[in-house]
Amino acid sequence: MPIRTAPPSVTEEEKARVFAEVTADERYKDYLYGCYECGICVAVCPSARFYDFSPRRIAQAVGREDLGMFWEQMNKDIWDCSQCFSCLKCPRGNNPGGVITIMREVAVRNGLRTAREALEGYSRIVYKIMSTGTQVSPDMIRADAFPDWGPTAKETGDNLALWRRAMPPETMHTTSSSWEVSEKTLSELYLIWHMTGVLDMIREVDEGLHAILVDVMEESLEERGYKVA
Amino acid sequence: MSEIPVAVTFAEQAKQRIFKRDPDAAPIADIRAKVFELEAAGEWRVQRVPEPFSPVMTKYGRTKKIPVEHTWHHKSCGQCGHIPGYSTSIFWLNRKLGLDYNDPKDQTSCTAWNYYASATSNAAAQAAVAMRNFAAADESGYFPIIHCATSYGHYKEVRDELVRHPALRAEVRKILAAMGKELVMPEEMVHYSEWVHAMRDRIAARKVLDLSKIVVTVHPACHYYKLVQEDAIYDPDVYGGQRTAIVSATVQALGAQVADYSTWFDCCGFGFRHILVQRDFSRSFATQRKIEVMKEEANPDVTLTHDTGCVTTLDKSQFAAKAHDRKVGIPVMSEAQFAALAMGAHPYRVCQLHWHATDYRPLLTKMGIDWEARWAEFQVDLKRLESGEAKYLTWEDADA
Amino acid sequence: MPSDRLLVIGGGPAGMEAARVGLELGAPVTIVETRDRLGGTPDEASYAALTPDFADAGEAMRGMADAVTRNGLADVRLSTRVTASAGEAGAFRVTLSGPNGDEIVEAGAMIVATGFTHFDPASANQSYGYYEFPDVITLPEAEKMLKDHRFVKPSTGEPPKRVCFVQCVGSRDRRIGNEYCSKVCCGVASKEAIEIRRLLPDCKVTIFYIDMRMYGHWEEKIYWPAQETYHVNYVRGVISEILPQGDHLVVRGEDTTMGRPMEVAMDVVVLSVGMVPSAGTKAIGPILGIEQDKNGFIQTPGGVLDPVATSVAGIFVAGAAAGPKDLEDTVSMAGSAAARAVAITRRPAPVLAR
Repeated sequence: MPIRTAPPSVTEEEKARVFAEVTADERYKDYLYGCYECGICVAVCPSARFYDFSPRRIAQAVGREDLGMFWEQMNKDIWDCSQCFSCLKCPRGNNPGGVITIMREVAVRNGLRTAREALEGYSRIVYKIMSTGTQVSPDMIRADAFPDWGPTAKETGDNLALWRRAMPPETMHTTSSSWEVSEKTLSELYLIWHMTGVLDMIREVDEGLHAILVDVMEESLEERGYKVA
Repeated sequence: MSEIPVAVTFAEQAKQRIFKRDPDAAPIADIRAKVFELEAAGEWRVQRVPEPFSPVMTKYGRTKKIPVEHTWHHKSCGQCGHIPGYSTSIFWLNRKLGLDYNDPKDQTSCTAWNYYASATSNAAAQAAVAMRNFAAADESGYFPIIHCATSYGHYKEVRDELVRHPALRAEVRKILAAMGKELVMPEEMVHYSEWVHAMRDRIAARKVLDLSKIVVTVHPACHYYKLVQEDAIYDPDVYGGQRTAIVSATVQALGAQVADYSTWFDCCGFGFRHILVQRDFSRSFATQRKIEVMKEEANPDVTLTHDTGCVTTLDKSQFAAKAHDRKVGIPVMSEAQFAALAMGAHPYRVCQLHWHATDYRPLLTKMGIDWEARWAEFQVDLKRLESGEAKYLTWEDADA
Repeated sequence: MPSDRLLVIGGGPAGMEAARVGLELGAPVTIVETRDRLGGTPDEASYAALTPDFADAGEAMRGMADAVTRNGLADVRLSTRVTASAGEAGAFRVTLSGPNGDEIVEAGAMIVATGFTHFDPASANQSYGYYEFPDVITLPEAEKMLKDHRFVKPSTGEPPKRVCFVQCVGSRDRRIGNEYCSKVCCGVASKEAIEIRRLLPDCKVTIFYIDMRMYGHWEEKIYWPAQETYHVNYVRGVISEILPQGDHLVVRGEDTTMGRPMEVAMDVVVLSVGMVPSAGTKAIGPILGIEQDKNGFIQTPGGVLDPVATSVAGIFVAGAAAGPKDLEDTVSMAGSAAARAVAITRRPAPVLAR
């Protein structure tokens, strides 16, 4: 892994700019109204029990426009959220999990070092979904990748090709994707990634991965006659 | 004389405690009305739920249409990839009930697992992925039914965002047009467990096992009933209409016992990214907040759930915990697999239980299934495939 | 035909006080009540003691009723409802439907006093399991036990060791469409907490809240004694879920001032249910043609400077039919509404609202 130098200390203006990007998202006004600070969101939150994490503090920091607390949360707290949306119990109709989704997108788009670090080790999943059309695949279950899952991880890995033929559904005889996705479908997915700027987001997270994906996708898109810039 | 009810005394109310929902008093507007309004305004076309459909009741007393057949199966990455018995059982149930369905190759993942894990995507991409899948379903003439609760929850979110934001609709329409597809919104978002719920009496009528001694704890998926709460199934006869009836009603219909436990509403701890790369969180949460509590308070024979992530987290977290002497060891599967077993499905050819981590064999024995004999049969199947005598296990093989 | 009669719709505290003041001013008053007796919700829900002075609710309601029924000019119609209305200020013609059939009554002015009912906690957005667990009860159910000078765990009949109140049930919640605060529940819960502590000195009582709202003199009459004399615990963090665990219940919340999730065992949970319009209040709007807000409470277009005039001249409102009110508000509104109603009947032309 390349050594990453510490970023220059972030100015108040930069924090304010990033904050404005979060509140400018068109979903933001549906996600955060006022806050009672009543704690219902924390009561139901699984991450609050394990990490020093609080959806209430996120709603409060963003609501109060407290840039200091917001910046800390952008660089750590948001990656502790389980995205379970239990916090939708909020009586004000807030969606702290949704605010966090927006904050994460902004963190990725801005290439925050902490975002890249949080997603380290995760790039193979991004590769899988971006390129095969399914997010995980049978061949990901290996004893070295999931030793804590017990002996079935090894058994599955050892017998994968055979076991995948030993199931009736016609689309599921695959190993490198969860089911058989047609070529045409895959090219349509690539077109979506292209047209919505997702590939640019991936470049911020992992340049190497981005390069591989661009090659694979552009070839497929050109074959199908789609024009890509 | 007009119908003004006289106030019921509170003593009577407490004695009765029968909760009736009044759909006209629902606090949240019905999004389906807005979906149809947008069709009338030319914004999209609505794919109607085909007949025959089964009406079920949702949280605020409204009716939801569940298609019985002619369904397009929106598959789950985690199920097809890591818990293949789950998807197989869903298809098998449809086949056994003689219902026509479509298992498409023109289907991508919903990509919500990745989105919730890493945010390496955005609202437009997520909406376009969803609507591309729905366009594909509409083109096939079959109505989409969603296998994973995360997909289901996410698609309900997408529907909500598309209804609210015209600019988002325009962007998605443009993307679909570039690939020659139309913007089509299904009349209902249907999760497969809602179909199982609607079919539960038909399934129970075909039961070949006596499940009256099987104790079940139910884990309902967060993305099923917490995200867009009004669209989940509730039933006044199940938990007094106070908790979603999904899965529990099916278990009751199958004649097994539903046991309660004090962390029923808790998330399983899947975490999307955590289950893959920060598993100490998922493992600790699933073990300490769900499995151990179930074991201590209910001591069930099996825990049933209806989501990919929940099955994965609850099933895979127990091995490491056992190594630390935690009180775990409850087999985990979907209600679809459980219902299939109840109808006589082969535990390996159909339910594919060999992919599950926590020991399910005592459960099968208690259910009256000779798993050793079944495993021996499956070994014979594997030999046939290995030798090249057959390429794949077929649906006919599954029921031989 | 112009009439000097006042028609009071509803026989609870608001109606009884409006009738009493009207009678005091020398007007003939017809008071209509759907139940078979006067007394309203405090009577029907068996309230024990009134907030904040701990006056006996039964005695208080009987006193208010006697003040009406003793007066020769009072025409009390029990088991009766208003089912139709025509006319205008000074000359209304109202159909009453009672045990002897329908009758049209002429009145110069009307006072709507149809009141509220308690929110059904099953409709709460939080998961309280009210229809699942007998030991989860509401404020009025607790009140009923306290009236009999007892407080027990309903599932066993034994006195509990751990009781809690959960505030804001059915109020202040965008997800259920009741965004308003029901005004009295903080005070009522604290009052009941004091009563429970008096009855059961070994029982620990906790109140879980978002904000504690006891205005004016309720603060030192109820809140301070609850904490200082009776050691009621106040924890800032409202409950999200109630589930069973063995022979007791478990409540979940965040202890916000300590910043940590909490799970506490409880024997009895009392839900502080808010006010919603009664069935009578919901129905009376269309019958009289007066405007209601989105929740069904009767609107008072004059705002804070005219709390009793409805959208129709000659028709006034008093009490919780207009929204959450405490008894002091109710009695004040009732007197004002009666005076304004009498003024209508003594003038030929309708008086416009300010």
